[in-house]
Amino acid sequence: MSNYFSKFNHVISNFLDGVDKGENYKHFRLMLYGAMFIIFFVPLLLATGLSSLEHKKLLAVREQEQLKASVEGAQKTIGAFIHELQSVVRFVSREYSYEELLDQNNASELFAHLKNQYPGFVDFGVIGPSGIQKVYAGPFRLEGYDYSEQDWYTKVLVRQLYISDVFMGYRKLPHFVIAVSNKLPGNEEYWVLRLSIDYETLQNYVATVSTSAIQDIFLVNNKGLLQTRSNIFGEILEPCPFYTHYKQGETIANVDEYKGIKYLRSYVQINDSPWMVVMLKESYMHGENWSSFRFRLRMIFFGCTVLALVVIVQLVNTITNRLREADEKQNQALTEAQFTNKFASIGRLAAGVAHEINNPLAIIDQKAGLMTDLLEFSEEFDHKGKLTKSVESILDAVQRCKVITHRLLGFARRMDVTFEHIDISDLLREVLGFLEQEALYNRIRFELSFAEDLPMVFSDRGQLQQIFLNIINNAIDAIGKDGLITLSADLHDEENIDVNIQDTGPGMSSEIVKRIFDPFFTTKELGKGTGLGLSITYGLAQKLGGNITVESKVGEGTIFTVRLPINDTRKEGNFNE
Amino acid sequence: MSEIKVLIVDDEVEFAEALAERLELRGFQLETVDCGRDGLAALSTGALPDVILLDLKMPDMSGFEVLVEVKEKHPSIEVIMLTGHGAVSGGIDSMERGAFDFIMKPVDLDELMEKIKLAYDKRSSTD
Repeated sequence: MSNYFSKFNHVISNFLDGVDKGENYKHFRLMLYGAMFIIFFVPLLLATGLSSLEHKKLLAVREQEQLKASVEGAQKTIGAFIHELQSVVRFVSREYSYEELLDQNNASELFAHLKNQYPGFVDFGVIGPSGIQKVYAGPFRLEGYDYSEQDWYTKVLVRQLYISDVFMGYRKLPHFVIAVSNKLPGNEEYWVLRLSIDYETLQNYVATVSTSAIQDIFLVNNKGLLQTRSNIFGEILEPCPFYTHYKQGETIANVDEYKGIKYLRSYVQINDSPWMVVMLKESYMHGENWSSFRFRLRMIFFGCTVLALVVIVQLVNTITNRLREADEKQNQALTEAQFTNKFASIGRLAAGVAHEINNPLAIIDQKAGLMTDLLEFSEEFDHKGKLTKSVESILDAVQRCKVITHRLLGFARRMDVTFEHIDISDLLREVLGFLEQEALYNRIRFELSFAEDLPMVFSDRGQLQQIFLNIINNAIDAIGKDGLITLSADLHDEENIDVNIQDTGPGMSSEIVKRIFDPFFTTKELGKGTGLGLSITYGLAQKLGGNITVESKVGEGTIFTVRLPINDTRKEGNFNE
Repeated sequence: MSEIKVLIVDDEVEFAEALAERLELRGFQLETVDCGRDGLAALSTGALPDVILLDLKMPDMSGFEVLVEVKEKHPSIEVIMLTGHGAVSGGIDSMERGAFDFIMKPVDLDELMEKIKLAYDKRSSTD
């Protein structure tokens, strides 16, 4: 896994190679966001959208089929009822002759029987060949009415059986008529038997096939007038707004909108009748359940989206940060190596110079020493005193040179990691030796205050020199001109000593202090600092088993405290790891 | 105390001669040679020195090589190594090979005389 990550890292690092890495990280982050969004959202959108559409399509087909089945059931039931009524009328006209029915008593008795069997029958009439009603049994007084001009009368003569629309007629009550025509024996004339049926009978029958699953069921004639009451469109004989011409025998289902509500409508013609049965059901697709389902689906989608966004943001941040950290570590390692190499080169150069100077210096030293000896053992002569002073001056100069070569060699030795007992105050003085000229030019004074009986620390001289050199150098840079650097060392506890380096520089804000040891963090001008000095210094202190803390106040100055263990038990071998 | 006989083996002739002269002024008996071979040769001809001041870095034979040979042939002669400043490890290595002590250049004369006397005392006590 880590291999993959490092490969990925390598590829990305190549991508990120450029002048402005910060900008590249931003682009990379955006690119990663884009990729993640596409990877996540496209499949989610497709899955959600397609399943929703497919579900909707399936439901619509199922719903239409169910309603068609219901309306066909209703058609058969109502058709059977009408067929039964037709059979009754046909039976009477066959069983009774015209002459028998012309007898009012016979007619009344027959009607009473029929009424008893079918309470919906309103009245009963026998119409002679001239179209005049000869006999009438029922609640109205309709004997002698002339039907010869009525449309239904003509139709019954032609078709022999006729079922009318529901209409008001002479009775001023909604009803329909079933009539049959029969030939008079011996001639070409016809008499007609007519039964009127209250529309309520039809209404009640339609009501029996209604279910709670549908919103409305009613009959409509081929003129588009309601033949039974409709829950939605009103009373009978009102026009039905959904009236559509239909093909005989075909069941239709489609969606219509009425008063803002979408209805699924199915209708079919009832055989041998002037009526079409119509069923209306609120469309599930447009109803509350479907809206609620869609709402839930959207909420799930939204929930997934929010969750995914959180995960994506976390993931992208983690990846980018790890990449940035890896990059920084790599850069840090590279720069540290360069830094170390630079130090090593300087060290070798210094050692070389010191050795080369050392030999002639030893000669000068001995020659001047010899001159002093000779002068001492010789008699008085002219300018002896002046000569002696001159030789002493030479010896002083040699002494100064010895100090310089001593420092240079000491500096060179820092690359060889060796643990030894070190007097911290001596070491600090040695370090100051490197910096005193620079401090002098910048009018910066050093004040030293070391606790008495400060124990020796068992540590690496070179590393310690580098630590203090870096910190004091920074203090000089911070002060600029005119200031004071106070170096103090005291016992922190039985195991550690503290070395404080306090400057009278401008100080730092707490934000800067927090980041002061971060690699590549620098407050120096561009190109003047690598931002690694204090980071490396901190690393060195930790390697030596110590640490560094900083206190700073803007306008007052900064104190670096280097805490060092007195007896570090680690061996050289371990240190070199 | 008789004169302590000191042999200086150093390729820096000017240094060796000046040092020899200064030590002579202080009562030591001195001889100088400018290479390791001459140094070993000096041991086979004249009277043996009590103490040898041996430079570590020389062109023909290194101080180590001369030291090893001296200690093989004349284990009683004490050798003080002259090392470049800071070459502490070289000095310590020499002591492991039998040198009495080491002293870093430029040499502090008083310190050197002190070490020569200590070396001589040691040689006298083992004779």
